[in-house]
Amino acid sequence: MVSKLFKRNETYLFFVILIFSFVVTVINPSFLTIENLFDLVKSSSGMAILAIAFFVGLLSGGIDISFPAIAIAGQYIAVNTLIALGVDNLLLAFVISCAVGTAMGAINAFFISTFRMQALIVTLGTANIFHGALLVFVGTRAVNTGQLPDCFKAFGHLQVLTLTRADGTVYGLSIFAVLLLGIILLTWFVLQRTLLGKSVYAVGGNYESSKRAGINITNTLFFVYSYIGFLSGIMGVMHLSLIRYSNPNYIVDTELLKVIAAVVIGGAKITGGSGTLTGTLLGVIMMVILEKNLVLIGLSSYWHQFFTGFIIVVGVSITHYQSKLQKKRSLSFAD
Amino acid sequence: MGKLKLGTSDNLTLFIITIGTITAMSIFLPEKFLRLVNFQSMASQFPEYGLLALGIMLAMITGGIDLSVVSIANLSGVVGAMVLASHVTAQEMGISPATIIALAIIAALVVSLICGFINGVVITAVGVPAIIATLGTNGLFIGFAIILTEGHGIRGFPEEFLFIGSGEILTIPMPLIIFIGVALSISLMLKKSSQGFKMYMLGSSPIVARFSGINNAMVLIKTYLLSGLLSGIASIIIISRVNSMRPGYGYAYLLLGVLIAILGGTNPEGGRGGVLGLTMAIVILQVLQSGLNILGFNPFFKKFIWGLILLLVMVINFYQTNGWPWRRLVKRN
Repeated sequence: MVSKLFKRNETYLFFVILIFSFVVTVINPSFLTIENLFDLVKSSSGMAILAIAFFVGLLSGGIDISFPAIAIAGQYIAVNTLIALGVDNLLLAFVISCAVGTAMGAINAFFISTFRMQALIVTLGTANIFHGALLVFVGTRAVNTGQLPDCFKAFGHLQVLTLTRADGTVYGLSIFAVLLLGIILLTWFVLQRTLLGKSVYAVGGNYESSKRAGINITNTLFFVYSYIGFLSGIMGVMHLSLIRYSNPNYIVDTELLKVIAAVVIGGAKITGGSGTLTGTLLGVIMMVILEKNLVLIGLSSYWHQFFTGFIIVVGVSITHYQSKLQKKRSLSFAD
Repeated sequence: MGKLKLGTSDNLTLFIITIGTITAMSIFLPEKFLRLVNFQSMASQFPEYGLLALGIMLAMITGGIDLSVVSIANLSGVVGAMVLASHVTAQEMGISPATIIALAIIAALVVSLICGFINGVVITAVGVPAIIATLGTNGLFIGFAIILTEGHGIRGFPEEFLFIGSGEILTIPMPLIIFIGVALSISLMLKKSSQGFKMYMLGSSPIVARFSGINNAMVLIKTYLLSGLLSGIASIIIISRVNSMRPGYGYAYLLLGVLIAILGGTNPEGGRGGVLGLTMAIVILQVLQSGLNILGFNPFFKKFIWGLILLLVMVINFYQTNGWPWRRLVKRN
């Protein structure tokens, strides 16, 4: 049991995170306080949700890069509908955003499954279609804090657990944490406890074999990409509630790279079929800690993108070099 | 032989579409489209992304993809621009502008080759799939460019340097001349050199290539060196034409480059593609773009259209190889 634990990528990652947190706390004692941790959870739960979405896509063997575009589309359409209808209902915002996201995900799935195209190229195209269509047909004007319906602001402030500081002021754990936990549990349940989840692994592991094993590949792919769209829709509303501002021009490519970096250092194989949810979440934690403390190590914010790229390259290099050595040992020539 | 025929028929389709678009534009927008100025401006616009598309095509022929071309162009452009921007102080030290320009070009090309080499090594020696390796180095290179400039633009180049991007010889813009020269050499390399032959072999089947005695790793490293170099050349045209450099320039070129490569008949799974098809794809897109600009569409609309065309072309390619659905219907009845 213990020796098996030590063979896992996640174990190493866990210890690296522990050591790093320890070092950071020594330099900056305010890091490992409950208040700061609550704050980190709130600001990074959106990224964690996107990472889960990307991870599910990766498991099925596809790289989906359209999720930032889907998130912004869901968010912007939802907030504009609410303003136009004059309704102040958060649930409606989630329904609209998730419906838009799921529909866009289904479009991705249609092209990927029907024409057997590479997911990366399809989503490169659809990301531009979605974002372009949003700006052309919906609008280009940003929704600022003043116009924002109150439900978003209230949602951003909602806390499920409040604690009191020594000086009497209160702080707390955001509702985002509950939402994130719900999504983690849902994803875990689907991937580990249902046939659908097993087919996701199978399709990513070997397309041809899974087809012959009688797995309904079309349905599996439709589930995967619609789910990615659905999660992106949720993230869109969360992000809006967090920053209280919706700018349709703002489509974050750095966010895309960060999410990919997190999933990749989490040990998910980029060619599909292998990886764990735990690894992905640890990867997110690692990325968040690294990013928030880059300044502590003495690197300015200009280093962010370089750093993210560096992590991706090193992360994938480690996992793929291992499998390359393994192939050499077993004299396998297949790529 | 069958494959060869397919290639020619692909190019024929493209040729008809090219002629069709140009004719349509000439008929509908005669005053604005059919002007020397318009053709000149088109010819100085497309070489920069045309060169990037060539790089993506080379990687696709070997069955990979190079998503880092725009970032390489940014990084080598920034380095070149930094050398150029020092020309005032350099002149005080007695170094002529010509030397500075030569140094800048060499610096940009060397940087682009280093980037290409990094890609090649990560893909071959470490064994990372090209798609994710270059996605990672994409962040690495642009990130390095941001670190170098701290996010600011660089301007103030010697006058003589601007000739590369905006000069013309016999009314032919310089960028076009550079593009034609580079495209011809790449075409020759693909058709006549052993490297070209090996690239197609490798793209069709890496295992067969390996058992035929081809050094796959060497071929791939050379391919990514080349696509890096092409990005470097593009960066020189860019800094000269724009007369400044800011990291993040030309982000949309990545989609455009992939679109051009696929529209031009390159198979993203490897083994097929050529310069002639690619060039026609560039002409089609540039003419369309110019038409959209003349008609006053906003830039987001272009984004929408490019994405749509990319998917459309891939769907058509799918049916061309797998048979059109209505043929099956006819057979069944």
